[in-house]
Amino acid sequence: MPRVQREANVTWEGNVARGSGEISAATGAFELPYSLATRIEKRDGKTSPEELLAAAHAACFAMSLAGELSGAGSPPDHLEVHATVTLDQVEDGSHRIVASELLARARVEDMDQATLAKLAEAANDGCTFSKLIEASAAVTVNATLEGDSNGD
Amino acid sequence: MATDRTADVTWHGDLMTGKGRIDSVSSGAIGGLDVDWAARSEDVGSETSPEELIAAAHAACFSMALAHTLGQDGHPAEELKTSVSVTFQPGEGITKIAITVAGNVPGLDDGGFREAAETAKDNCPVSKALTGVPEISIDARLQS
Repeated sequence: MPRVQREANVTWEGNVARGSGEISAATGAFELPYSLATRIEKRDGKTSPEELLAAAHAACFAMSLAGELSGAGSPPDHLEVHATVTLDQVEDGSHRIVASELLARARVEDMDQATLAKLAEAANDGCTFSKLIEASAAVTVNATLEGDSNGD
Repeated sequence: MATDRTADVTWHGDLMTGKGRIDSVSSGAIGGLDVDWAARSEDVGSETSPEELIAAAHAACFSMALAHTLGQDGHPAEELKTSVSVTFQPGEGITKIAITVAGNVPGLDDGGFREAAETAKDNCPVSKALTGVPEISIDARLQS
């Protein structure tokens, strides 16, 4: 398959403490203001790099899990993925992305919880973003079946 | 103090023909963004993708880190314009990230700007989280 490039642009004005920036996606899908205050203090309706990574991770994992479930013969009716990315100050005083937690709820026919858990692990292994950030952050995955399981 | 930021995605159907949506994020800044495999792996349309969001996160993180470095060195930026391109090879993953930055920084020469950009590239938290990417390049220039 061909290589794919995806681009985004940022304009920043001023210093880090009082300045502010504007993030735009090359596709035009979003255009967003942000600042240091909204990144590490109150969100105030503005995004941050970590929130965008949470969105990237949730989207990446949802696709990967859809792929694993389909491969197992049970394409999902409905998947919900909630990602939480944690930025923390480490010993040397710098900030690091230390964790990304994925919670998935799946509505899938003919599936039991144990199989879903196994496929969710495989989906995590197959999600390129999970693999990349494991060097820096702890990635945890928890998948549960939505409603009554039809599996037995 | 740790800072958490969250996002919610819904997906319907299989990978190749199914459809997803980034429903919401903790700040409320984005919501209702469609994502699917075609938008991720084929020609750029109007839909976003995980790689575009990573490009946006990295560009935002790098710009702040560079603003910080320049401020600490006594040369606060008037304006920084950063572009990040993420290269995704389906089946392999993210193979390259290219950062391009143009700065308007009074009192600083090209060499000083390039040095500050290297420092920002190495130290921004998103770069630190993406050390597994085989190549992260930087092209830094002052605006004339």
